[in-house]
Amino acid sequence: MFVSVENLCFRYRSQEVIHQLCLEIQKGEILSILGSSGSGKSTVLRLLSGLETPNEGSITVAGQTVADDRHFLPPEKRSIGMVFQDYALFPHMTIRKNIEFGLGTWPKKERKPRAEEMLRLVRMEAYKNRYPHELSGGQQQRIALARALAPKPALLLLDEPFSSLDADLQINIRNELHDIIKQTETTTVFVTHDREDAKAIADRIVTMRDGAAHDWDSICMTTERPVEQKEKALQSL
Amino acid sequence: MKCRILDGVRHFLIYGKRGVLLNVSLFSSKYINIWSILTVGIVLTVIAPNFVILLQFFTEPADQWDHVRQYLLPDLLKNTGLLLFFTGLTTIFIGTSLAWLVTAYDFPGTRFFKWGLILPLAIPPYIGGYTYHGMLNYTGVIQTTLRDTFELDLDQKYFDILNLPGAVFIFTLFLYPYIYTMTQTYLETQSASLIENARLLGKNGTKIYFSVVLPISRAVIIGGTSLVLLEVLNDYGVVQYFGVPTFTTAIFQTWFGMNDLASAIKLSATVMFIIAVLLIGERILRGRKQYSYTTSRVHPLQKKKLTGRKKWSAFFYCLAIFSIGFVIPGLQLVSWMMLTYEKVVTAEFWTLLTNSLIAAISGAAMIMIGALVIANFTRLNKSLPAKALSKMTILGYSIPGAVIAVGISTVFIYIDNVLAALYEQFDMDGTLFLSTSLLILIIAYAIRFLAIGFNAIDAEFDKAGTSFHEASRLLGKGSISTFFKVDLPMVKGAVISGFILSFIEILKELPLTLILRPFNFDTLSTKAYQYASDEQIQEAALPSLLIITLSALAIYFFYYVLKKERS
Repeated sequence: MFVSVENLCFRYRSQEVIHQLCLEIQKGEILSILGSSGSGKSTVLRLLSGLETPNEGSITVAGQTVADDRHFLPPEKRSIGMVFQDYALFPHMTIRKNIEFGLGTWPKKERKPRAEEMLRLVRMEAYKNRYPHELSGGQQQRIALARALAPKPALLLLDEPFSSLDADLQINIRNELHDIIKQTETTTVFVTHDREDAKAIADRIVTMRDGAAHDWDSICMTTERPVEQKEKALQSL
Repeated sequence: MKCRILDGVRHFLIYGKRGVLLNVSLFSSKYINIWSILTVGIVLTVIAPNFVILLQFFTEPADQWDHVRQYLLPDLLKNTGLLLFFTGLTTIFIGTSLAWLVTAYDFPGTRFFKWGLILPLAIPPYIGGYTYHGMLNYTGVIQTTLRDTFELDLDQKYFDILNLPGAVFIFTLFLYPYIYTMTQTYLETQSASLIENARLLGKNGTKIYFSVVLPISRAVIIGGTSLVLLEVLNDYGVVQYFGVPTFTTAIFQTWFGMNDLASAIKLSATVMFIIAVLLIGERILRGRKQYSYTTSRVHPLQKKKLTGRKKWSAFFYCLAIFSIGFVIPGLQLVSWMMLTYEKVVTAEFWTLLTNSLIAAISGAAMIMIGALVIANFTRLNKSLPAKALSKMTILGYSIPGAVIAVGISTVFIYIDNVLAALYEQFDMDGTLFLSTSLLILIIAYAIRFLAIGFNAIDAEFDKAGTSFHEASRLLGKGSISTFFKVDLPMVKGAVISGFILSFIEILKELPLTLILRPFNFDTLSTKAYQYASDEQIQEAALPSLLIITLSALAIYFFYYVLKKERS
């Protein structure tokens, strides 16, 4: 498996947020984690990316263990790209600088062509010298995607990518997003609370249930997992 | 209960019956890094001098302490108590009434008074103190005018302000803006719906002020008052000049007059105890009340237009406070400066100016660097220890300069003793190398004013959130590179404003500077104070005016230009 998560547990202020989560993702697959707010789905992304340290369990990406009892690879060394819910485009840098930001380890000569390539991919060449606040929400999202994809991450994470967009924009953009990701063949996990979004983009959907957070211990004993993998979820939905 | 240690000593898991109870990742590689080490280092530097003093509260007293306790302490406690009580009362009255007037009503000059009434803060109380004394004494402008123009020769006792009520008058005049600004901002942004409701329910102005305004702004009033009281406790210049012995003057007296550092430390410990009571009192009084609503849906208060007599009484009230708090002492200083500047502006004066700038710039720079490190660390680690660390950095701001001076000297003398052998190796003269250097003064400034820088940056980081930082980390930048490329540019504005604010505070600072400055190192504030104590009040005008002008410019910038920009 390209990404494998085993028995992942995470507590925040002694409250169980993630309990014994297992996930397996194949290379090039787009996996969607579907869940209501508070179900801990965003926390899964933060754990995958290294922004949070798991209390138990392990995460392996592309054959490398990035987190377990003994190892913790900091986020900057994981080669994981992420599109934040609010995009987090650096306001003091132009679009091109934003995209080049992640190419620090690339040879100087290749940075600019790569940035141009990404701008072409998201069809934003004309905007490269603008600042983030000069773009619309949908445009900002495309730049955030370009920035995350530029360093060729092993894994791409999308956190509620459509939550800050107008509903009518949403349908166009999610198809576009799907095409761009498929074009780059990047393994992707994205979390959403919207079943339609999940269906439109994902190859496979995993549902995450909340509740039982106050009674996690019994769940632990009965080994029921708050996340159930639903194979071929598309048909069943 | 079982304990499992992972990764050397960095990561503990403590097991209970039902699995992992506690995962102590404080020491995990995520937390042991340059930021946490620097933060702990800075916070220890802030705490150490204060801690040294607190320890002394419990040690055996020195020989002379009995004498101090018997003959000095009762007076000190009485004076300090009276000063705090009456200054508190009058500043609350003036601060809140002005805030209410300029917020709720429209009368001539409202827009100017809104920020103009903050200006008295630009005049350090000790400068205001000797200016008023100079104006009111026998040769001063008031009595001379009365004698020459009206041929009135009144009893001197009417003009004597060198006493406790006089000190209260001075403190009130130049410290009320703390309460005024906090209350004014609060009323303007947060109170609209409550006050409008009270108006709709048929209450009139004074009724609303006492039954709505004062109760709802209780939390901010208490916050502002505690700042005022801490300033009173910190003061050395006014009480010394006015001959009202308090703890700060007693610390100077025992330490330098009686050469009794042990008693000075004991006195400092007593002050710390009073401050602890004060701060706990503030907490209790404020209760769970917060400074602001959590909703962002607040609208500004609609001003009511005043007419007739009311209009003019509001105007003259504001004008009177503004005049005696800023214009009159300012003009007096200008006229004195015109008389004396030729005598004062000498080569020595330029040294004075450079000294002040060196001290204030390096102090402010140190504060901002420390504040950036701590604020960056605490926002990225929402753990309990990190929170506690950030609380401790603010500690220094409540401790009077004289007390910090006692504490930091104790620590530095100890370090010097340890390093004495080293000094000999390098053939340096004097064994108290560090304790008499400029470094100790600058570190002391940083301890005292770190909170100013920290609060500025912390608020800005809070606004920016952590997602930019996280995005940068995920794009392959480490924490240091992220700090310089993303975090720092994000809070650039706060760094500049924090720098200016601490620069001004250091420029005005007196007790710390008097005690800790290296031999023959004078600044604008110590020189102004020295001139005044030597009865050369007119010569003190120029250095005082420089301090006041710079402070007034800062106030203009922060309360007028920036606020206007925001709205």
